[in-house]
Amino acid sequence: MATLSAEFTKGFWRTIPPFRLVLGLCPTLAVTTSGINGLGMGLATTFVLVFSNLFVSLLRRLIPNQVRIASFIVIIASFVVIVELVMQAYFYPLFKILGIFIPLIVVNCIILGRAEAFASKNGPVMSLADGLGIGLGFTISLFVLGLIRELLGAGTLLEMPVLWEGFEPFAFMLKPPGAFVALGVLLGFMNLISQIQARKGGGR
Amino acid sequence: MREILRMIVVLTLIGAVSGLALAAFHRFTAAPIEYQTIKFVKEPAVKKVLTGYDNDPILDRKKLVVGTDPRGRPVELTVFPAKKGAETFAVAIEGSGKGFHGEIGVMVGVSKEGKILDIGITSHSETPGIGSRVTETGYTDRYRGLPAKKGVDVDAVSGATYSSKGVVAAVNEAVGLVEKFKKEIF
Repeated sequence: MATLSAEFTKGFWRTIPPFRLVLGLCPTLAVTTSGINGLGMGLATTFVLVFSNLFVSLLRRLIPNQVRIASFIVIIASFVVIVELVMQAYFYPLFKILGIFIPLIVVNCIILGRAEAFASKNGPVMSLADGLGIGLGFTISLFVLGLIRELLGAGTLLEMPVLWEGFEPFAFMLKPPGAFVALGVLLGFMNLISQIQARKGGGR
Repeated sequence: MREILRMIVVLTLIGAVSGLALAAFHRFTAAPIEYQTIKFVKEPAVKKVLTGYDNDPILDRKKLVVGTDPRGRPVELTVFPAKKGAETFAVAIEGSGKGFHGEIGVMVGVSKEGKILDIGITSHSETPGIGSRVTETGYTDRYRGLPAKKGVDVDAVSGATYSSKGVVAAVNEAVGLVEKFKKEIF
């Protein structure tokens, strides 16, 4: 039933975080002030998610049920520190911008959620596919949300001015409330598309 | 009982392996992290206070042991030399002094002839708009061309006496170090 490709692609639409799962909202709302920031945060999270899924899955028979959450957190935290060190060593400006939200990946619900709900019950290959799919879905979401907020809030796309001269940016979009609005509107559109699809498919 | 033992063993193992892996990783990334920090935090200040060099002062940085801290560990000081050909004609060196809100870090460019070339603020947390005015060129230019000897003093920014005093203290610390380690530096 559950094929490899299905586990991989479900992260792109059917259970795309943070829209469908509505998990991991804290980094989603906080760092998506530009496309690049969203992309960086998404990729960092993907890295952690893929490796934590892999290791949780490999160790799932070894870890006693009573201490599984503690074990998962240790595994996740280790990879977060690795991401933090790598970013600091090679992507210093991005590291400065994302700041506290990199260590906070440890408590990202998506990662612990996948470890608990999927990786601890499935084999390593499946878990890798699941982690990669969900992670890339999260990255795409953050990237798109970042692009929208950057376009409206600063009038630029990937730091290049794209709107007409004299465009007055909505600084509101770069503030936290703007993040809620952008997220909500985007989620609304996604639901609309799903409804249309469902109707076309004859209520499948 | 066996169950508890198993929990303890597994958790300890996971923790120990993670710790080992991270320690190794930390060692592996320590050098690039140091370089990046210097590049993004110190380089702008170094570039401001030194001119006319044909080397990379960041890459050529030297570390001097300037003493020991209360716990007996060596205190290191990083010196950024500006070279023309192979000859060092000036250095940038960082000093720090107490401002109104904590330490102010100041990069000071000192020529071989013992003149202050220019200064640049690397870090501070002074009040924006008041104490932060010591970072402006209108203030930092006052140090240009002064003799690089202990006792440097310039007019303070009005309304920002403490911040100005912090910068003066930082500059004096830096030129004092250059005086003291002149042989090692040039």
